[in-house]
Amino acid sequence: MVLLQLDTFLNELTSMFEKSTEKGSIWVTLKQDVASLKSKAQRNKMRTVGSSIKYRCLVRATDGKKTISTSVGTKDHQRFQASYATILKAHMTALKKRERKDKKKAVGTDNKEGDLKKKPNKA
Amino acid sequence: MVYITSWDEFVEKSVQLFQADPESTRYSVKYRHCEGKLVLKVTDNRECLKFKTETAQDAKKMEKLNNIFFTLMARGPDADISEAAGKEQAEAQPTKKGRGRKQ
Repeated sequence: MVLLQLDTFLNELTSMFEKSTEKGSIWVTLKQDVASLKSKAQRNKMRTVGSSIKYRCLVRATDGKKTISTSVGTKDHQRFQASYATILKAHMTALKKRERKDKKKAVGTDNKEGDLKKKPNKA
Repeated sequence: MVYITSWDEFVEKSVQLFQADPESTRYSVKYRHCEGKLVLKVTDNRECLKFKTETAQDAKKMEKLNNIFFTLMARGPDADISEAAGKEQAEAQPTKKGRGRKQ
């Protein structure tokens, strides 16, 4: 498990996507990573006092062989979120794009086929 | 494994699951380019919710869900979900601009 800086993680994630286009999967997992400095009991005490707990988001990515991870803090999360979304949009190109135009065309061709079938029967 | 067919139901249940137990709930995404499949999973190690898709339209919805989880996890489970805030901002802006020119 390799813990990386945010930008390094994003670069590694991009190269993982590029490598696994022909075969393989990519898993990305998000989990809350509360600063492990404090134990649960102390955390509960802090919550009742009302002090701010530093929340971090742990992001892990793997291609089945190599695993990379990074921890996103409150201040970085919007920037990371935007970059992460860009990477996903750029690489998730294999998904189907359903257009209404295709459906209409399919209905049109079906009708024509139906008419053709009916005519020879009448004759 | 519970596969949920409705996107909105999946989002609502997974946010509820996270807010009930933020320390053990995790959100996973699996993408297979060769098959063009995307599978989302939210679990707290007791209950598991899954959603699978092959459409780009659902991938766009997943991006919004990503934002929700990033906000919840990085700011705390009690944080206002940015989706709601985003929509409110979008509604507020047009009203502010208005049409100043009186014809």
